Amino acid sequence: MITLIMYLHHFQKPILLHGHERALTQIKYNRDGDLLFSCAKDQTPNVWYSLNGERLGTFNGHCGAVWCIDVDWQTKHLISGAADNSLRLWDVSNGSEIGNLAVRSAVRTCAFNYSANMAVYTTDSTYGFACEIHIIDVRNADESFSKTSSILRMQVEGAKVTSTIWGPLDKTIITGHDDGTITQWDTTTGRIMNTIKEHKNAINDIQKNSDGTMFITASKDCTAKLFDVEDLSLLKTYTTERPVNSAAVSPIFDHVVVGGGQEAMEVTTTSTKAGKFDARFFHLIFEEEFARVKGHFGPINSLAFHPDGKSFSSGGEDGFVRIQSFDQSYFDYKFDY
Amino acid sequence: MPALEPIESWAEEAEAEFEGKKHLPPTTEVIANGLKIVTSYRFNDDDKLEKIVRSYKIERRKVSKAVAARKLWKKYGESANDKPGPNPSNTFAGEEVYMQFISGKEDSDKPDENPFEKLKEQKGLVKCRSCNGDHWTLHCPYKDMMTKLKPEEKLPPASGGASGEQKYVPPSLRDGGGKRGEMSSNLRHDALAIRISNLSPNTSDHDLEELVKPFGAINKLYLAKEKTTGQCRGFAYIHFKSKEDARIAINKLNGYGYDHLILKVDWSKPNTTT
Repeated sequence: MITLIMYLHHFQKPILLHGHERALTQIKYNRDGDLLFSCAKDQTPNVWYSLNGERLGTFNGHCGAVWCIDVDWQTKHLISGAADNSLRLWDVSNGSEIGNLAVRSAVRTCAFNYSANMAVYTTDSTYGFACEIHIIDVRNADESFSKTSSILRMQVEGAKVTSTIWGPLDKTIITGHDDGTITQWDTTTGRIMNTIKEHKNAINDIQKNSDGTMFITASKDCTAKLFDVEDLSLLKTYTTERPVNSAAVSPIFDHVVVGGGQEAMEVTTTSTKAGKFDARFFHLIFEEEFARVKGHFGPINSLAFHPDGKSFSSGGEDGFVRIQSFDQSYFDYKFDY
Repeated sequence: MPALEPIESWAEEAEAEFEGKKHLPPTTEVIANGLKIVTSYRFNDDDKLEKIVRSYKIERRKVSKAVAARKLWKKYGESANDKPGPNPSNTFAGEEVYMQFISGKEDSDKPDENPFEKLKEQKGLVKCRSCNGDHWTLHCPYKDMMTKLKPEEKLPPASGGASGEQKYVPPSLRDGGGKRGEMSSNLRHDALAIRISNLSPNTSDHDLEELVKPFGAINKLYLAKEKTTGQCRGFAYIHFKSKEDARIAINKLNGYGYDHLILKVDWSKPNTTT
């Protein structure tokens, strides 16, 4: 007996990427949006063609959970930081490891600056080592990367850094901390320029909007907040009833997507329905939720808008990355006010 | 492309089957009409042969040079041995998921509040001084009459209503109802209504409106419909604004052929008979 099973790949259907065996930690598009990078608590970051979900390759080498990835503007190099106390630089075209920078504790966040001449990474405060922010020169993308010494080293007093972005013109670095504070650092002197505490609990993610004038934070205190990137003034608050793990701003509409769910520890004790693992869409200005997209059966850990704004991706605790193209109703939708 | 496949003898196949070996037909790929159709086979849990057909749409898109160059990169890492196109073991299409739009909270609250407030206003605040109706004295339809009646009758029912039991008084009985009754029956448009019967079941409200519009202004239009199917039950009532229009309509439409049926039109009978 022959049973016929049909799989039809439409681009409207969400594409599920199952390249990770464990919970996703971060996903990022490159500047053109044709590639989607993902890393998880397993040891291999993946790269996918965002259009059809085809896997281009994996970056093999880490031997610990990969916490963070970033790709430069030309999609030449990728950096990844992992719990194996290393920051690695990869060639995106062939997946080979260019360099491996050994660090004293787990690398929690990493980011190229705009020109990709420099990169910032932060380390966890474990094994008796303090949390530190390092800025390194990455222009020499060869074996010497492994011996790179930091241009600038900033010791963090207090709660550890959980997310990092570069400020405008690479003059500042903005870090989100485990206790909800946001700190702005001067990249030339290494001094703290500004510190605010608008969140009551740990910040899980910080993402800039498409022109880099604002950034959105996702916090465990069940809110996502929008800040000005220059003076860190609080602009908007998006409130949910679950911890927020990631938030992103649409590049084409005044929309914000917020994802989260309860903590990984508590997932097994609640049903999927109660979990509220939907990606939720808020209006950027009116702070009002207007739509939801379900899909994951675990909390969403990382969200990213495609740079053209026509699709978005989410990486979940369930180990899946979902590429969701917006249907026509999203583009036709007008917010009533 | 069956010609290129290694031809296996049926004997080998039969032998394999006899020995209990699982034999899978080879996977085939056909590219036609912009679709790549991959047919593969597998054994399911019950050891039954399953045929899996996956079809992929092949699209050509214009992209920037950098993106095009990246598209030609060789796969690496764990994907090094993958064929062009998504590898079904780690990329698959999910169930279609639609955005669920949530209407604003404020919008849903407003309609609830407003009618309530309106009701309040109507019941309590607005009361006609001449007839106790739920409208402003200024807008009282019986204003002319009341001004005449007032000096003679001194409004016994109205004063009674105001003093104690605020019972419901039907409009026909309010304020010396007898005369009013006559008036209102004239005012009411029953007399101006016509009944159209022998309409075809396919007639819609819109059709009916089109049919009677040319005869003059219409007050009300009622098309009897089947509750379940929404089909016309064959008759309708039209309330014209003027009696003259109604008369013309009857003259013209009675015996008029409409949708293969001959219409029967007459004055609507007042339902005093029932």
